[in-house]
Amino acid sequence: MIKISNLEKIYRTEEVETVALNKLSLEVKEGEFVAIMGPSGCGKSTLLNILGLLDDPDAGSFLFNGIEVAGFNERKRADLRKHNIGFVFQSFNLIDELTVYENVELPLIYTGVKPAERKKIVEDVLDKMVIMHRRNHYPQQLSGGQQQRVAVARAVVNNPKLILADEPTGNLDSSNGNEVMQLLTDLNEQGTTIIMVTHSEHDARYSHRIVRMLDGQTVMENIMV
Amino acid sequence: MLFNYFKIAFRNLLKYKGFSAINILGLAVGMASAILIFLWISHEISYDRFHEKKDRIFEAWNKGSFNGKVSCWNTTPKILASALQSDIPEIETTTRVNWADNYLTRFGDKTIMMKASMVDSTFLQVFSFPVLKGDIQNALMNPSGVVLTASTAAKLFGTDNPIGQTLELNEKFQLIVTAVVQDPPNNSRFQFECLLPWAFLRAQGWDDDYWGNNSTRTYALLKPGSKVESANAKLENFRKKYDRDDPTGGFFLYPIERWRLYSSFTEGVEEGGMIEYIRIFTIVGAIILLIACINFMNLSTAKSEQRAKEVGIRKVIGAMRHNLMGQFLGESILIAFLAGILSLLLVQVTLPAFNTFTGKLVEIDYTNPLAWALWAGFILLTGLIAGSYPAFFLSGFQPTKVLKGTFKKTQSAINPRKVLVVLQFTFAIILIISTLVIKKQINYAQNRNNGYNKDQLLYYFLTGTAEKNYDLIKNELLSSGIATSVTKTSAPLTEGWSNTWGIGWKGKQPDDRTLFDRFCADQQFVKTAGLELVKGRDFDLAAHPADSAAVLLNESAVKAMGFSDPIGQVIQDNGQDWTVIGVIKDFILHSPFAKTQPMVIEGAHGWFNVIHFRLNPTNSVSTNLKNAETIFKKFNPSYPFDYTFVDQAYASKFEEEKKMGSLAALFAGLTIFISCMGLFGLATYMAATRFKEIGIRKVLGASVASITSLLSKDFLKLVLISFIVASPIAWILMNQWLKGYAYKTSIDVWVFVATGFLSLTIALLTTSIQAIKAAVSNPVKSLKSE
Repeated sequence: MIKISNLEKIYRTEEVETVALNKLSLEVKEGEFVAIMGPSGCGKSTLLNILGLLDDPDAGSFLFNGIEVAGFNERKRADLRKHNIGFVFQSFNLIDELTVYENVELPLIYTGVKPAERKKIVEDVLDKMVIMHRRNHYPQQLSGGQQQRVAVARAVVNNPKLILADEPTGNLDSSNGNEVMQLLTDLNEQGTTIIMVTHSEHDARYSHRIVRMLDGQTVMENIMV
Repeated sequence: MLFNYFKIAFRNLLKYKGFSAINILGLAVGMASAILIFLWISHEISYDRFHEKKDRIFEAWNKGSFNGKVSCWNTTPKILASALQSDIPEIETTTRVNWADNYLTRFGDKTIMMKASMVDSTFLQVFSFPVLKGDIQNALMNPSGVVLTASTAAKLFGTDNPIGQTLELNEKFQLIVTAVVQDPPNNSRFQFECLLPWAFLRAQGWDDDYWGNNSTRTYALLKPGSKVESANAKLENFRKKYDRDDPTGGFFLYPIERWRLYSSFTEGVEEGGMIEYIRIFTIVGAIILLIACINFMNLSTAKSEQRAKEVGIRKVIGAMRHNLMGQFLGESILIAFLAGILSLLLVQVTLPAFNTFTGKLVEIDYTNPLAWALWAGFILLTGLIAGSYPAFFLSGFQPTKVLKGTFKKTQSAINPRKVLVVLQFTFAIILIISTLVIKKQINYAQNRNNGYNKDQLLYYFLTGTAEKNYDLIKNELLSSGIATSVTKTSAPLTEGWSNTWGIGWKGKQPDDRTLFDRFCADQQFVKTAGLELVKGRDFDLAAHPADSAAVLLNESAVKAMGFSDPIGQVIQDNGQDWTVIGVIKDFILHSPFAKTQPMVIEGAHGWFNVIHFRLNPTNSVSTNLKNAETIFKKFNPSYPFDYTFVDQAYASKFEEEKKMGSLAALFAGLTIFISCMGLFGLATYMAATRFKEIGIRKVLGASVASITSLLSKDFLKLVLISFIVASPIAWILMNQWLKGYAYKTSIDVWVFVATGFLSLTIALLTTSIQAIKAAVSNPVKSLKSE
């Protein structure tokens, strides 16, 4: 599904040049659950941003479902993103002014799904995430675990092939964290590819494979048995 | 998607109530000002545009040269109309319109004063004043016919049919109502309550064929397809053919659409007029609206951090930049819509005061779909202007930055928000300086010595039998001790009704065309008016019966005539000799802002319309007036005792400038108000974002004063920059404005110092409220929130 080779990303300011990704190569197959680990500043988030088509690499190749997407303009990236990729963040990133229902509905609006159909899809997803009873609440009225369930619901509502999770349990206690990890595992079992950045060895154990990064490069891979 | 945009916009409105209130109120005030200005402008440009034949209607103007200066004016000889009709083939017909005059009108036991214009029989064929009753073709043919407006007919006849009824005018003329026309609309130069036929004027012997008597207005209706240029070519030297006394100069036809807005000529070239005010107020309206829009831009971008996360999330889940721009524009349009509703309310509430102030009768036609369409368009435009920059700015956020929390606002020395605040205050400061200069100019002219004593001086028009009984009135006013002095004059002291370049004197150069103001007074003019006599003496018919052919000159006239010893000189006017008996200091007859002109005051052989009398100061004014009324009622019983105090008439000469000054003050106030609302919003926001910094500074020992000055300093810097930018611009603009006045004040340094001080104080007051609030807050709170 994803094949990146010799990917480079360099951040420049007036005085400093920081190499975030240094000729990084990685392949992720459809249906895989990959955890990416490494110390702060090793390039995990940069990699995730590029994988999520939020950012563009400076050099190297990025094949997404066999299509070269490195060098895509913002419009093309956004188009590909909204149909194929769902995001889950550490800080949930729900829109405070929208209710649970409306937050989950939002991706469908941007992909142009008709209102009647939207209603059905959103209710289905909310049901699956066991958050239906909170549909009219605002994010700040929910617990962290509930907020992350909403975020996961929003990530999957478009039925994406790939979910990118950036420390999804970082802001949760262990029981809520486990619940979210279980949700991701279930999604993966249903066929969704998952790439997760995490600092938690415990969470990483839910994945099939752990990719360890250092200084913008992959240094080790662990296959989970 | 649209629904989603509006939903979130509404929730944001409610969430940030303070900002929403500032935005909506600021925009509403700006929009209301713009709507009022728009209403006024659309009223002005609609003047006399309702005539069906407007494309073919022209006014005849004189064009002549006087001592090397070209002048244009629109009073014409009465004889011009028939000459145009016979000599200019492009003209289909002509119609003359005399200045409207008041007539005492009686029907049965009803008596009213009626404003009447004398017009040619073609008037209703040229101009569109729809006839409601009667025969349009013959309505103005009969010398004893009269055409009433609907409201005058209703006043006199109620619901009865007025056609064929006989009215008595000025107690001597019997006229039969021939037609009733609709009242002239407010946006017409022709304002009358009745029309009298030119044949009536002729029957009274008031018509003349003297080319030197410019006394009426002449209008021409061109034939369809005719070119005005070709008619004007024939009129250029028209006087040569007819005017034996003054064969130079000619006429031109001036189109209807330029009457109201232009009609001002310098050296024979059309220059300025009402259009200048239209332009000024269009710019001012646009500026006020822009200033209100700037508030929205500034507050929206200042709040950007709060919206950044939302932008990031929306982008991550698939929103394109244009989606987000659409969303933010939707929000600004929603705010503009709410402001639009509020602005309509504001307009509705302020419209009566606005109408009183402008002397207009403008209104919003709520039944007109076009008005609603314009309103909707206006809201859309305002929303787009206000929302464009924030939409562009906010939609450009990178999700990778804003969601990671690495997003930081730019803190550069010059950011668009600072530029916009400077722009707002620059406009406000220009308007404050303009207001001060206009007020200074008015004060300057008000303090100018007008040359006569206005105190307790009154005038009364010689209506009805007052002229016949003038001597009796005068004697009783003096003998009963009501007045100390009484004089009959040709016009009120504050108005010049006649001028001429036809004065002759010994030594006059043949090509000298100096224009003299012509005034007439019978007796004791210097005494009654309180003029300053430089040489010679006042009119005194009792001691010098020959004074009826005597003349007083002002100093400018003596200079123009080149007399070294003016007393005893003989001058000629209207074919009559006048002997100079005295010289007076110049007094202000016309504008107190203009230079005084050479003037001749002719004695009792002149013509008279007005009585001036000075009240006896030993009695109270009310007693004097009560007793004077008894005398006037005795000798002129049919007419009301309508008098005017000269000081009030003189004060009215400043009305236009005063209105201009009040408008400038109003707009300066509005601009400052809206700008300060924005500043207040920004200060509130800044105080909130620097909450933690303030806490740390306080823990480290900063005082309330130092923190207040820290927070206020940035804003004051911006106001100071605005002042530096605005001052030279205001100076250039006001210098240009003052150039229009011969008698003008100077633009002193104190105007700028006062403005600078005022604007800084206002800005300081606005921002310091928030700054002090932030400075006195407990630092524990801000540090704990980390």
